This record gives sequence, C-alpha cells and structure tokens, in this order.
Amino acid sequence: MPSLFRRKRLMTVLIGFIILVALIGFSMRDRSELSVPEKFLQDSVGWVQTVLLAPVQLFDDSYQNIQKMLNVYDQNEVLKTRLDEYKGLIQENQQLQKDNDELRAALDKTESLRDYTPIQSTVIARSSDRWFEQMTINKGEEHGVEKDMAVITSEGMVGKIISAGSFHSTVQLLSGFDESNKISSWVVREDEENTFGLIEGYDSESGRLLLEGISLDEELEEGDTVISSGLGGVFPSDLRIGTVDEVENDQSGLTKTAYVEPFADLFDISHVIVVDRDVQSTNDEEEEEGEGQ
Amino acid sequence: MIRLTISCLLIILLVFQGMAMSLLPAKIAYSELLMTPHWVLCFVLIIAIFFDKDDTYHCVWYGMIFGLLIDVVYTGVLGVYMVTYTIVAYVIHGVHKWVHETFFVSLLLAMAGVGLADAVLYVIYSFVQITEMPWWNYVVLRLVPTILANVVFFVFLYPLMKNRVERWSDMWKST
Repeated sequence: MPSLFRRKRLMTVLIGFIILVALIGFSMRDRSELSVPEKFLQDSVGWVQTVLLAPVQLFDDSYQNIQKMLNVYDQNEVLKTRLDEYKGLIQENQQLQKDNDELRAALDKTESLRDYTPIQSTVIARSSDRWFEQMTINKGEEHGVEKDMAVITSEGMVGKIISAGSFHSTVQLLSGFDESNKISSWVVREDEENTFGLIEGYDSESGRLLLEGISLDEELEEGDTVISSGLGGVFPSDLRIGTVDEVENDQSGLTKTAYVEPFADLFDISHVIVVDRDVQSTNDEEEEEGEGQ
Repeated sequence: MIRLTISCLLIILLVFQGMAMSLLPAKIAYSELLMTPHWVLCFVLIIAIFFDKDDTYHCVWYGMIFGLLIDVVYTGVLGVYMVTYTIVAYVIHGVHKWVHETFFVSLLLAMAGVGLADAVLYVIYSFVQITEMPWWNYVVLRLVPTILANVVFFVFLYPLMKNRVERWSDMWKST
C-alpha cells in the first residue's frame, strides 16, 4: 500500500512542522520563568556537567598553575611597588567611607543603589552554538538567583541572567546583547560631570559594545570609564563595564554613539558573581530578614 | 541495557560539547570562524549507519530526544535542534541502505549529515532572526569550518565505536 505509506509520511512531516512552530513560539516569547520540564532537564544535565567537569577542571587548573608559576617573580616585583601606593589609598578610602556613612545617617538615607549581595558561582558550560552567547552557572533560584540579575567577574560586567532553573541558571553574555537588553550607564570623566548613555548592543565585528544616546554637546575622550548607573531598575550602580574606545555621531545626527571596549574577557570565564541588588529586595520584608541572619 | 549505554554515551558527548567551548583555548574556540561541535549528531549518525537495520529507526528517536536536550540546555529555543537532528538522522538512515559501509563512505555520510544539519539550523534561525548573517558569510565562516571540525571528531570516534556498535546491533537482533 504505497499510497497509505506516503500519506503517513506526509502527516508526520506536517505534524513535525506544527510542533516546531509551536515550540519555537512558546520559547521565544518573553517568558518570566522556565517551564517545569525545562527546569528539570536543565538541572539534571547540570549535575552531570558538574560531575564531569571536576576531573577536567583539575587537569586544566594544574596546567594553568604551571604556566603562572613561570612568571611569578616578575609579577611579584610589580605588585610590591603597587602595594605602597595602596596603603595610602586604603586610609583615604576608609575615611571617605566613614564620612559617607555619617552623612547618610544624617540624611536618614541608608540604602543606596550601589549595595548588592554577591552570589559566587562557577561556570560549568558554554553554549555549543556560537550564535547563542550563553553559559550555564551552578547557582539557581535556590541560591537566590533571579532572572535579569547582573553577572560580573572581578574585572567587570559580563552579562545577565536570562533564565534561572532551581540549581543552575543561564547567563546571557554582553556579546549577545541586543536592543531588548539595555543597560543604563554613566560615562565617568575627569574634572567633569558624568554623562548618561544606554548600552544598546554589541558590534560583533570589532568586539565592542555600543553606547548610544549620548547628547551632542558632551565631549567624550578615549579611555573614559563606563559604569552602570543603577537607574534601569535591575542592576546596581557602579558596576564596571568598559572604556570608551571611539566616538562617532549617530546616523540621525541627534546623538553620539560610543564604542566601548568591555573590561572583562568574555571568552575565558570560569568564576562569576551574580549580583543581587539590595534596594529592590528591601521592599520584601521576608527577604530582608533572611539576609540579616 | 544497550539503550542505556547509548544514552549515557550521548549524554556525555552532550556535556563535553558544552565543556569544549569553555575549556578549549580561546584562540581556537573563539576565532572568527564559528566552529560548532555537533558531536551528539556524529554519534547519532554512527548509530544510523552501523546500528540500525533497514526496518529499525533507533537513530531517529535518539536524534529527537537529544536534539531536544541540546535545545533546553544550550540554546533555550525549543524544537530547532530536535527537528533538525530528527530529519538528518532519517535522511542518512534512508541513504545508507543503498551504499556499502566502508570508512570512506561513512565519512562522506557524516560530512553530508553535519552539513545538512547546520544548514537547516541556519535556515530556521534566520527565520526567527536569531542570526542575521548573510548566507555567503555563513558558508565561509561557519558551514565549512563546522564540517571540517566535526569530520576530525568523526575520524576519532569511528575506530572507537564502529565494531562496538555493530556488536550491539547483532545482540539487539538476537534478543
């Protein structure tokens, strides 16, 4: 019965197509949370990844340690000279911190956009498809990670959480940012007021972030530092993002666009910190108590 | 038992696929060329060529299940890898009926399979605007390097797995 067989095949193709479209539609819309089966799968694969990563990491670490040991002496010399500079800096910093606290107490304003609770975590995998600039980390909702939190390394910001499972979450790297992930930021200049801009995407050809919406009369210089402003609502302020590399006028000619070189190395990441902003969570009394303990 | 072994191997390949991207030196993994590991697919193709008889379709099911896993774990857009791997496993399963399973032929089949899979991925992802690469850039920067990288992996996998998978196939038939 060839005709029946052909009909069955046609049906399979049609049903497959419908399932494909339905699944893509389901997962591409702006979801606030992953579905339960997805969380389950993500966590189970996450455990396997953690187990398999341990021996590989051991090998990788010892290899890197040997490499590092070769230039320990030079680094030590440089660091010793730096140390003396820092001593003075610490004192100054402590003094400023104290002043700041006192002034805040006088103003009756104790919370600041700058404060956050760090959640340390390890990168266990990266997306194998390079069109998805994502990586998986080993902390999830159980550890307090939520969607849209900022993710930083010691060098600077690397991305944000796009989906949180129970014990593992997925991070969208800065290199995968587009217009739907804006970061409101300040450009810090010497002797001048900070100027405002929005990180609105990533130029994959040159590997730099696009800082848009800078007003025309602001003069930016190469090397100015870009930090997050905390005004976007999710990220705390003062997260280091990058340095200004090149400034040009926007296509419309009404604003300027700056190319920003990110501080963090977006390729070689092994440990990250998820940033849980404090100001938001103080609205929630339960969480505040939990953090206080 | 055989099913379990194959599934475990596929899961390990799936995990290594993600680990490779974070552990390989950045110069190789993150050059201009967008090499994409399709190791799970390579093993599914070996199953299609050496495990499946003309009337069994194990490879199609493995392709579907582990494609879905890749979707969930590595991309977050469900269904794309699932459908792609299913189609490719089915096509290669259909083609291998007419050829002899020598090393060279299976290498060609693997190349065709990986190439077809990556091309289908490109078509679907450009429809949903996840990538906006023009196709000539895609062919030079991603398709060709991906096929070459996976062929290297297939050459490693082939001597390790070929006889074993054939033995499993005989055991499967006798039970």
